[in-house]
Amino acid sequence: MVATEYLLGYLPILIFLGVALALSALFVFLPIGVSRITGSHRPDTAKLSEYESGFPAFESPRSQFDVRFYLVAILFIIFDLEAAFLFPWAVSLEFTGWPGWITMMVFLAELAIGFAYAWKKGALEWE
Amino acid sequence: MELTSSLGLIAPEILLSVAGLFLLLVAAWAGDRASSAISIAACVVLGAAFFLVAPSVCAGAAGLETVAFGGQFRADAFAGFAKLMIYAAAGAALVVAPAFFTRYAAMRAEYPVLVLFGTLGMSIMVSATDLLTLYIGLEMQSLAAYVLAAFLRPDQRSAEAGLKYFVLGALASGILLFGASLLYGFTGTTQFELMRVAMAGPISTGTLFGIVFVLAGLAFKISAVPFHMWTPDVYEGAPTPVTQFFATAPKVAAIALTARVALDAFGTHADAWRQVVIFAALASIVVGALGAIGQTNIKRLLAYSSINNVGFILIGLAAATPQGASAMLVYLVIYVAMSVGSFVAVLMLRDEDGAPVERLADLAGLSRTKPALAFCLAAMMFSLAGIPPLFGFWGKFVVFQAAVQADLVALAAIGIAASVIGAFYYIKVVKVMYFDEAVNVVRDRSDWAHWALLIISTALMSPLGYLLTGPLSVLADRAAASLFFLV
Repeated sequence: MVATEYLLGYLPILIFLGVALALSALFVFLPIGVSRITGSHRPDTAKLSEYESGFPAFESPRSQFDVRFYLVAILFIIFDLEAAFLFPWAVSLEFTGWPGWITMMVFLAELAIGFAYAWKKGALEWE
Repeated sequence: MELTSSLGLIAPEILLSVAGLFLLLVAAWAGDRASSAISIAACVVLGAAFFLVAPSVCAGAAGLETVAFGGQFRADAFAGFAKLMIYAAAGAALVVAPAFFTRYAAMRAEYPVLVLFGTLGMSIMVSATDLLTLYIGLEMQSLAAYVLAAFLRPDQRSAEAGLKYFVLGALASGILLFGASLLYGFTGTTQFELMRVAMAGPISTGTLFGIVFVLAGLAFKISAVPFHMWTPDVYEGAPTPVTQFFATAPKVAAIALTARVALDAFGTHADAWRQVVIFAALASIVVGALGAIGQTNIKRLLAYSSINNVGFILIGLAAATPQGASAMLVYLVIYVAMSVGSFVAVLMLRDEDGAPVERLADLAGLSRTKPALAFCLAAMMFSLAGIPPLFGFWGKFVVFQAAVQADLVALAAIGIAASVIGAFYYIKVVKVMYFDEAVNVVRDRSDWAHWALLIISTALMSPLGYLLTGPLSVLADRAAASLFFLV
């Protein structure tokens, strides 16, 4: 019993080492795995050919698409979350009062500045 | 009124955010032509924030009047001390940037703005007394840092550094959040004060896991072993002014944050986290020292050197006493000055075309071609190695003294022994510069701003620095005392 309690005193370091070991292994082996999938790995044509419900594929699934989709998606997420943040603020405004209202206006002003920046930089233009 | 006093306490942060937003708009409309004007404005803002914070540090502000927003934020002398270092380091990163980026035609107006936003995040980090404030500050700093690491867009190494930093940083944030959720689940609060009260008594396994996960996430941010793998790659790949920024300001912020979390929130269970900190400290010292030996790139070498230094700082944390916290702060001041000095010296190493020189072999015989630069760099290296009479010795001395007085004699002894390994590669740099055949690669002249920064940091590291020990330790002691002032 005493020995167990004594050993329990070292539990934090055991957990820390476990976490460290697991994460280090992940850091080391994940890039290796990814590079095998993307880089030095040499699969043959049969493995590479697409299989789509028994038909030959119409086009390559690895076709590139425009990076601007990504930019639009990011901007959408930012402003979407902002809108979502307005709902809890609106229903609790009676508790937060004027300070709550002013804080949200400051938040919206900051977002407007971000929006103005994105607009001016041409992030919203497709061409 | 509580809100008014809270707003007064976060005046430096308000100043930084308003200035950052304003300069962002200027950057958008005036474009990259205005980048030097924006840099100067950002320096002025950092200087103003510096002077806003300075009085609270000198007065040793502590206690209830420093608590803002119902205990989510605390502007005490400890936070102030860290903020002063952060603002100074960020200012240095702004000063050296234009000369470097102009060569690649990559000086963008967003650089100073990102540095300002990153600094704001760090400012929030060091004052955080709530897990949510902590996380907001940390992410604000990290998001700016990810972009800064990849700032040299045409350079593949810079892009790689940014991506690597982002992926691993996101993972570390995830670990930290998982730990935070466990702590919230087992203590029922996110505030450090209440958490410490809730943790009193025997510790539950869930809380223990929470502590370990939070510390693991923070260990990543301070690049302590075993969460250091990203450091050499990111430091090497990022543009050198950004590397200088990473090695100084965010490190100060993350270490101050770790100290507050460990000593404040987990204060009642110092025995639980002390082993973790001791392990990370010793592992950082040893891995930092051994890893640096084989390096041929100066930036990678300095990355390992910063891992090594974090180990020494963590020894001060392991003591878990006000004296240990004060020793950490003193060490941090010296570390920031040494890092700024060494990276400015690296920035000044350029060949005749003005391209940066990063290979250690190209430094051979620098003492003949560039005696002043070689002398300053040698002083930095000796100081980093902790050789008296240079000031770097004092930092190591106070840290070991705190460890010995906290009955951690074995830790101090191993730390001292391991610092001898570190001395090897620092002195190797000096040997290459002074005793090897001159290759005469470093040719280009540097502007006055670089020289000024280099001379200031060399003067600080010289034995003249010891004149500062008195005021420095008084301020650090007050700051440490404010950290232990329980509200």
